[in-house]
Amino acid sequence: MSHALRVVAAEALKQHRRLFGQPLVLFSMLLWPLLTLAATYYTVLPVMESATASQRWPVAADPRRLLAFLAAGALAYTFFFSLVQSAWHFSFERVSGTLEALFLSPANRMALVIGNGAAALTQNAWLFGCFAVAAATAADVLDVAHPGMYVVAALALVVPAVAWGAFLNSLLIFSRDSAFLYTLLDDPLWFVAGVRLPLFALPVWIKAVGVAFPLTSSLVVLRGALLDRADLGDLAGALGWLVVLTVGLFLAASALLRLGEARVQRTGNLQVF
Amino acid sequence: MSTGIVTTDLRKTFPARRWQGWRRRHVAPVAAVDGLSLRVPPGQVTGLLGLNGAGKTTTIRILSTLLRPTGGTVTVDGLDVVDHAREVRRRINVISGGERMVYDRLTARENLWYFGQLYDVPRARLRTRVGELLDLVGLTEAAQLPVERYSRGMRQRLVIARGLINDPAYLLLDEPTLGLDAPIAHQLRALIAQLAADGVGVLLTSHYLAEVEQLCRHVYLIARGSLVAQGSPAQLAGQTVRRHTVRLVLSVADPAVTAALRALAARHDAELIVDVDDGGRPRFALRHPEDLVGVVVTAVVQRGATIVGLTVTPPTLEDAILTLTDPAVMAR
Repeated sequence: MSHALRVVAAEALKQHRRLFGQPLVLFSMLLWPLLTLAATYYTVLPVMESATASQRWPVAADPRRLLAFLAAGALAYTFFFSLVQSAWHFSFERVSGTLEALFLSPANRMALVIGNGAAALTQNAWLFGCFAVAAATAADVLDVAHPGMYVVAALALVVPAVAWGAFLNSLLIFSRDSAFLYTLLDDPLWFVAGVRLPLFALPVWIKAVGVAFPLTSSLVVLRGALLDRADLGDLAGALGWLVVLTVGLFLAASALLRLGEARVQRTGNLQVF
Repeated sequence: MSTGIVTTDLRKTFPARRWQGWRRRHVAPVAAVDGLSLRVPPGQVTGLLGLNGAGKTTTIRILSTLLRPTGGTVTVDGLDVVDHAREVRRRINVISGGERMVYDRLTARENLWYFGQLYDVPRARLRTRVGELLDLVGLTEAAQLPVERYSRGMRQRLVIARGLINDPAYLLLDEPTLGLDAPIAHQLRALIAQLAADGVGVLLTSHYLAEVEQLCRHVYLIARGSLVAQGSPAQLAGQTVRRHTVRLVLSVADPAVTAALRALAARHDAELIVDVDDGGRPRFALRHPEDLVGVVVTAVVQRGATIVGLTVTPPTLEDAILTLTDPAVMAR
């Protein structure tokens, strides 16, 4: 176990050093999410100002609450999409030859992909996370049932995100066409997970697709716990489903790693699909 | 107990597919290693030679657990590489030519620290080990520079240090001096010899045969995945048909000398090549299992000719490889 923890820490530090060499990285950590948030806010604002919108969705009537709703979405999306980016970068290790060096070592493969994802999460999301919490506090839009719900919200965001990262890393390290998945998980993820719009406003089939992504349930918990004064009882369904998804993603990651490595050992080709 | 790396009747076939119309269909698998048995004992350098595509790299990848054999067994100190892959990985390491397997944006020190963590090198040992290895490969002064600023030789030296980070009991070297400058390649050869003297079992593949002759106590020669011959470099060289080559250059052309040498070659069943050197002087090369320099010189001197150049090349490992891996010889 201690070896696995060392691998997680080492992989996280390595990934940080590989991807974060310039101060310009602050752009992707804060400015880019902020720009995206601003663009979203000013895109939906004119629509929300209509009377019918506020009748169906009271949040739309209050620009401050609307911004908080979208900021929570952007924050959660930043967490999850940073892992898509990280997995995409991890896939380059196959091309550069370092993936082979990882497979030569006795390091636990699951620890490697978790460490890689954890690094992406910490380095990509913390600045925007801090900013979002500070802004929400200053604007007095937080409405929390009790302080323990902050912990629930944080865990509901971080733990499924790590599982999502492990799953994507396991999938993409053996993929030649990782750019395809990268594109597929960008805008569609915004859409199906309810990042910009409340889930009830989406068609049923999109809601059904969105349920398969942990971001959707993480957002339900995050918004419910921090903006809508929901307690554990109110969020039990979403939390339970998040646990199922998280366990499922870890199991899928483990299976993918085993199957992928076995295939590599059989064919001699690090590229599985 | 250190029993070395032992392969018994090792086989590896790769699944193959070919496009047929719009579909890719499975065709007969390709055999890369075919019944190979060899031993890499601790404390010596063992060579694995063969032409391109002979199965050397596939063999090394099986021994290092990157590939799974389709038949036969491989054990490292008695541990099966399939059943005990993780323990085997702790005991071995691989160094390949071509300076891959390190991270460009990390410094040399960070690279070594990272791989030390993957190999679970104890923390205190890792601190000293990184410094030792940087010293060993001459990168101490450049230790804090990102690897992307290194020259090719410096990168290859870092790859070598990476391969030693876990104090491997067995080191698999796949063309380790590929593309290195002569002085650095020389240093690496000295290092390999020292590692073997310290008890490390080394398996070396190389296209630089002088390197193999210098370092290897025992050599396995393979072709099409099968063992063709084995022995010391000298023993292998002695197994070839073409052996000693006597080359001589005369001051001027003399038909009587040429006729005498042709007769001598015919009498001994030797191969004779007659041409001229860059100065237009007659040049002869006589190849025969025995060293014929004495009779050749006598024949020339008896006819009053003047020898301006004379060399005798003993049998080489290169001759052995070319001869023993010749499909016609293998068929016999």
